[in-house]
Order: sequence, then structure tokens, then C-alpha cells
Amino acid sequence: MTETFAGKVAIVQFPGVNCEYETAAAVEAVGAEAGLFRWNEDPGRLEDSLAIILPGGFSYQDRIRAGVVAAKDRVMDKVAELALAGRPVLGVCNGAQVLVESGMIPGIHWERIDLALAPNIMTDREGYFCTWVHLRCEESGCVWTRRFSIGSVLPVPVAHAEGRFVTEDAGVLADMRDNNQIVLRYCDSGGTVEDVFPVNPNGSVENIAGICNKEGNVLAMMPHPERATWLRQIPEDLAGAWGRKRRLAAGRADTMEGEGPGRAFFTSLIGT
Amino acid sequence: MSPYGFGHRRDGGTGSGLEELFVIAWIELWVRLKVVDLVAQTAWMTLTEKLDLRDDLCGLKHYSYWGMDADGIDAETILDDVDRVIRMDSAFTNQNKHCYRLRICDGTPQAGGSGLAIPSGRREGCASTGDLALEKDLPIEGDEKRLLERGGVYVFDCLIRERRGDRERAFEDRLNGRLKAASVSHLKHGELWRMLILADGLEEAQGKLERMLVTRSRREGLLLNPHYQRYEIVSSGPVASGEGLR
Repeated sequence: MTETFAGKVAIVQFPGVNCEYETAAAVEAVGAEAGLFRWNEDPGRLEDSLAIILPGGFSYQDRIRAGVVAAKDRVMDKVAELALAGRPVLGVCNGAQVLVESGMIPGIHWERIDLALAPNIMTDREGYFCTWVHLRCEESGCVWTRRFSIGSVLPVPVAHAEGRFVTEDAGVLADMRDNNQIVLRYCDSGGTVEDVFPVNPNGSVENIAGICNKEGNVLAMMPHPERATWLRQIPEDLAGAWGRKRRLAAGRADTMEGEGPGRAFFTSLIGT
Repeated sequence: MSPYGFGHRRDGGTGSGLEELFVIAWIELWVRLKVVDLVAQTAWMTLTEKLDLRDDLCGLKHYSYWGMDADGIDAETILDDVDRVIRMDSAFTNQNKHCYRLRICDGTPQAGGSGLAIPSGRREGCASTGDLALEKDLPIEGDEKRLLERGGVYVFDCLIRERRGDRERAFEDRLNGRLKAASVSHLKHGELWRMLILADGLEEAQGKLERMLVTRSRREGLLLNPHYQRYEIVSSGPVASGEGLR
């Protein structure tokens, strides 16, 4: 296969991921070109890519620990090299777990493991949890959220069993705050960050839903923006402004095909 | 030496008002898959090929582990009662895919579980029950021939647990809610990895083990993330040449 990734968004397909096609559709919805990169291809082919996305799913069946086996793959050497050079990299859900297990997030000490995405802590349940949550965009220099204004609230679905950002190193948490690396926080539909389930769906420290590196080009987020790229993907009974917008669009096919709250993550790429 | 500790309790719920002697023992449940363990195979491949540790690691095995203090009238009663529950409850075993060993360990009871210094599989003075004897039939992920031919092999049984004890407390509650003739406490649960390390001494072997277990960077460690997990060595020791590990 000689497909080139020049100017394309490369979506890395580790064995076991399952969100690569909907991620490609979301990328193409903003006018960019997407291509699937199988994990065992020549990593050099990523050299000219516009950006790299590690999609959601269950790489290597989550064996040993979610994301850790993919983090040791040869392709991640190239992803890390390109990220260091400023290439935009987005990890969604399992992709976020890979970035954390590879030490690229938070990346304060490059490639050192400073965080974990630990099993969810929830009230009266355990394991996998799937729901729509609200995210508040925080002040950051992240390239993936530059189309959002600070404090804006957007609904996006989560679907995971291990999504709790946690660290044993209090200094790392302080550094992430100081560096404006905490990009997204779980909040209620009004934008209030409250550490209660299910506003915080996994017990993540400081309600963290997404973290970028210091330079802002690498983002790891547990919620799935590709599942909120079109208005029609929003559930009718969702609270907040986006839910109202969705209800008003009911029965109007053209409006339903309009932009959803997650699309701006991909729109942010254009022009990088 | 008795493998058990003893205590007194008032009437044991019989209403007699008399104090009764009862046994306190540390019991362990080791569970493994009857079918091919893909997690163990993936760990082996990742450690030896992606992390290039083939000169240090010559084999590994993988179990689910529960250890706990248990008390009851006598050892057999405790084992029978716990065995009855874990056979029926798929949170512990599923007889379609698991085999297991349940045993009372030798030595004094280990509230808090400080671990034993004798390599597992060669302990004496323990009672056991279960579907299969775990030590007899389990293939090792690794190079057994190399292991048997040379000395300098050290075996470590490493228990990886979550730092938070929520799941362990849930398992403890689950067992106590189902047991009739015994009760359990101080339960520990996690993944247990038996690692076979090639080294010139125990200290060097421990250093190599640590580098395999604890994920410090993308190029170092695999089996636990120190930000929410921790490990303890349950047992360790050298393997004599030709002895094998079964």
C-alpha cells in the first residue's frame, strides 16, 4: 500500500480500536482529508501528515492495562518524535489512555509516566459507563480547542471503564494547573464544575476530562467528540442549550445535519 | 507447627453464652484460565520483544489472586465454606473457564498479609481444594528449556493491587454475605504474576523485576501503573537447576 499521508489526518488503527471510521468521518466533515494508518506499517509514512489521531476502542483488547501495550508499539516512537516537533496529536478515550501510558501526556517530563487513567469510581456501580456529559473549556493554549471560547460548555458522550485521571505526584497536578494544561473539565449543563457522580462520571481528579501537553499540540481526552459532530447525534432529552437546539431541529433534516458540539475540535485543526 | 492461629469468641452466635475456640487462618485463592491466557501471552511478547528483555526474563505465569484472614471452627470447615461460595459465584470463578486452588497457608495467620518467604508451589503444611492442581498443568509463557538448562533463575510471585481498597472491600462484603460457617477479613485482591528472572543474584533479579513491573516511561515497565497500583512480592527465591517450576 503506497497511500501517502501528506496533508492528511492520520488515524492510527491499533488492533482492537473501533472508532476509526467515525473519527475519519468527523475529520472529513470539516473539510480535511483522513487516512487510516495500520499500526504495523512503516511509521515513516506519518512524516508528512497534517495531524495524528489515536481513536477510541480497545487496543490489544485492553490486555494488562488499557492503552499500555499500544504505548510500547514502534509507531509510538514516530508519534512522539512528530509530537515533539509540534505535530498536532489527539487521543480520544483509548487513544488518551495510550498517550498517558506513553508519557506524552502530561509530557512535563517527556515520556515519564506521570499520570494514570484508572478504573472509574462511581456511585453504586462499577466498570464500564456510557453517558452524555458536559465539558467546560478551560484556558489553555491547546490547538485542538482554539475554536472554543474559555468557559464554553459542550455536551459530549463518554464510554469507558478506565477514565479517571489520577496522579500520585501532587507536583505534577500543580504544574499542569500552572501551565494551563487542564483543557477540559466535567461540569453540569450550566457550567458548574462539581465533583459528584454523574457530573464527574469517573471520579477524575479535579473533574479533569482532557489534558494537553505544555506546548498545546497534544491532547488526551476521554469523551468522544466524533460522536457529537452532527446535531442529530445529540439525544433529544439532553439538558442545556445544545439539547434545546436539538429539540428545535426535530423533523428538519437539513438542520439535523448541522454542526454538533464536538465538531469544533476538528475544525480547530484547519489552518495548523 | 500448627498452620493456624486460635482465638476465643463468645458463643459463636449459638446463644449458649459460652466462649468457643475458633481458628484464624490466612487463606489464598489462586485462579487461572483453563484455556490459553492471552493476557499472559501479550505480557510475554511485550516484555521480550517490544521492551527487549529476553535476556532477563525467561518465563511468566498469570493468576487472579485473593488472600484473606478467615475464621471458623476448624480449617476444613473454613475451606469447605469458602469453596462452596467461590464455586457458585462467578465474581471469583467460572467453572467453564477457570481452575483454581484454595488453600490455607502455613505459618502464622497473616493479617494484613506480609507474605511468605517460600516460593509458591513448594509450601508445606497447607490444605487445598479445587478443580485442578494449579501447579501440575500450567504451561509457562517463555523458554522453559533455557530455564532448565542454566542456573541463576529466580522466581518471584508479585501481587499487583490497586491503591484504593474499594474493590477489595466489595469482595470481602460479598464473601461475608454468602459464607455460613466462616467469616473473612483483611482481604487482598489483585493480579498475581509469577516472573522467572535470569540474574547473577537475588538483588540483581529484584532490580530487573522492578523494571519489568513498574511503568516508569514508555520504554520501561509494563505490568502496573504506579499512580493507581502497587505491588508486593508474595514469595521469591532461586530455582535450582533442573528442578523446574511446576
